[in-house]
Amino acid sequence: MNEQISVAGIYSPPFKIVVKYFIAAIISFIIFNLMLVIDYKSISGHHFQPKILSINHILTLGFITMIIFGAMFQLVPVVLEVKLFSTILAEIQFWIYTFGVILLTYKFYYFSSNLSFVLPALLLSLAMMIFTINIVISMTKVKKWNITGSYLASALFWLLITALAGYLLSKNLDKPFIKINHLQYLKLHAITAFVGWVSMVVMGVSFKLIPMFTLSHGYKLTLAKWSFVLINIGLLGINWIMHYPDTGFYNLIFGVLIFSGIILYLIQIFIIFKKRIRKKLDIGLKFSAFAFIMMGFSLLLNFSFLFFNYESIKNLTLLYGFTVLVGYVSFLIVGQMYKIVPFLVWYHKYSSKVGLQQVPMLKDMFNEKLAEIQFYLMIAGLVLLVPSLMIEIEILVFISFLLFALSSFIFGYNMITIFRS
Amino acid sequence: MITKEMKISEILKLYPETLQIFLKMSPHFKKLENKILRKALAGRVNVEQAAKIAGVDPNHLLFELNKAINSQIQEEIISDNNLDNTLNLENQKSEFLINILEEKIIELDVRPILDSGIDPFNDIMKKVKNLKDDEVLLIINSFEPVPLYSVLGRKGFDHFTKKEGDTFKIYFFKKQISDDNLKIFKEPNEEIDINDFEKVIELNVRDLPPPEPMMKILEALSQIDEKSVLLVHHHREPVMLYPKLEERGYEAITYQVDENYYKVLIMKKRN
Repeated sequence: MNEQISVAGIYSPPFKIVVKYFIAAIISFIIFNLMLVIDYKSISGHHFQPKILSINHILTLGFITMIIFGAMFQLVPVVLEVKLFSTILAEIQFWIYTFGVILLTYKFYYFSSNLSFVLPALLLSLAMMIFTINIVISMTKVKKWNITGSYLASALFWLLITALAGYLLSKNLDKPFIKINHLQYLKLHAITAFVGWVSMVVMGVSFKLIPMFTLSHGYKLTLAKWSFVLINIGLLGINWIMHYPDTGFYNLIFGVLIFSGIILYLIQIFIIFKKRIRKKLDIGLKFSAFAFIMMGFSLLLNFSFLFFNYESIKNLTLLYGFTVLVGYVSFLIVGQMYKIVPFLVWYHKYSSKVGLQQVPMLKDMFNEKLAEIQFYLMIAGLVLLVPSLMIEIEILVFISFLLFALSSFIFGYNMITIFRS
Repeated sequence: MITKEMKISEILKLYPETLQIFLKMSPHFKKLENKILRKALAGRVNVEQAAKIAGVDPNHLLFELNKAINSQIQEEIISDNNLDNTLNLENQKSEFLINILEEKIIELDVRPILDSGIDPFNDIMKKVKNLKDDEVLLIINSFEPVPLYSVLGRKGFDHFTKKEGDTFKIYFFKKQISDDNLKIFKEPNEEIDINDFEKVIELNVRDLPPPEPMMKILEALSQIDEKSVLLVHHHREPVMLYPKLEERGYEAITYQVDENYYKVLIMKKRN
């Protein structure tokens, strides 16, 4: 019962590095929202459309993955009690990666330029490999492993698979060589990226962060372990089966495994929320709670694909994409950033002064009222977008994108306030 | 582990079975049975205040509560097949007493002293002073001398209480069992004993959101000198705190009680 822990080393993660990634991500998020407004006309029709691909990758690579990189540099040392192997690698990776994101999104946007797709795909893969090496070497020094570590380790594996699929797709766009349907690989790339990389990180980290912020304890993580197993088996299955034609039945089986895993995860999160000591949800946790609801909602949407001929519903893929990438992932990231960024800045600037002089409280570091407004603007944008896309009324789509853009400005403003406080 | 500063509502939420203890301790706690009153009253009051209100000894209440949850933790752990790590405190104590030789037990019946209207405190203290490390002091009394537990506790004594009809038999012995940070090893050869310090300042940050635990701890540092130690009750290991302690010339030793309970001992850096 009384397990003994020796004095932990100094894990202070490199603030400068983390902030670099965070700032790049916030900028990407604002650019993404602006692009929606500028190109609202092209956001309809088939999803394999150059401009949509460009905008999508600004969000997924520029915002979501960028944030994950920064957050993992910050959290891996704290959660697993190890030093980050190399800050220099993290620095090098940042520049290669940022350059890769810019090139790729540029290339997608203008499609017919002379730039080959392979170069940005290679840069991105290289950056992701550097990241993986950096984290894996850090992980080898872990003395006490935990479930979050397992989730993060498997996420790294899926990140590399995503990058590989992305690279193959880029080669194929230059000069078609894949015998199987290009769209099949695109699906694989998207599923692996979204479930294997993004969701695995989100889940693993949430088991640490959510209880820390809600002050929940006295629950077991049994469901989390099952969720981990089911999702990984499902992903392995899908990645293997996709290389064969006509595998609808198997797809379904593996799909159901992933599905069940995510449902178990959501139940686990619900339990953690229920066990919380602080009943009042602050703005960061409101964003997060809404994100988990949207995660469940996108599952339902996904499930309906099985029964509906989804060709009959206009823009369903696009709707699904917004539900998942904005409703679930972006809400969660925004919410967690409202919790983490103030803490990081506070720790960096003020923690040495505690007890020696007055230091600000976290909630004084940004305008919570504005953040509330951002929250409702984002929800309003999302709610308005659904019918507008379904019945294809361009002006309404435009208005909901304006709401998004407005909310992203508020987010940017609040984040700048925190960094400068 | 329940501390004096913990709010009653929090205790009841974490360990619902403690309600029985409250009810047993004093009729004043009857109100806790009512859910609405529980919300209204229990959220404001900590163990110490509650004990004062009900007119019971806070240390005794604390002891009873912890006894109850320890046995619950015991059960949990037993069901986890994790027996080797557990210390069944009460059993160990009684077993320890069974193994004590008769001549090692120094008996003091305080009932006649009390009957003659004298406070037996000085007599007890005299006995304690002359007690050897391997000897056990047995106090026999007509009521449970709860305040004595904390007085002798500070002197490094553990106790085991037996009730036989109307008499209480309380065995006091030098702590052997690590029930509260008795021996914490930093290195295998370097032993830290909380009893080496003259003063133990306790701080409970278990229900504070980040970064308040860190703030509270750093603010409390000014109270620590060479002879005192800060014992922090925490809900996670404060890895971000260590560098800040280092900066200010303090060191910490953390030890895990369970999944979400850590004890952090903070002291001036020793060379």
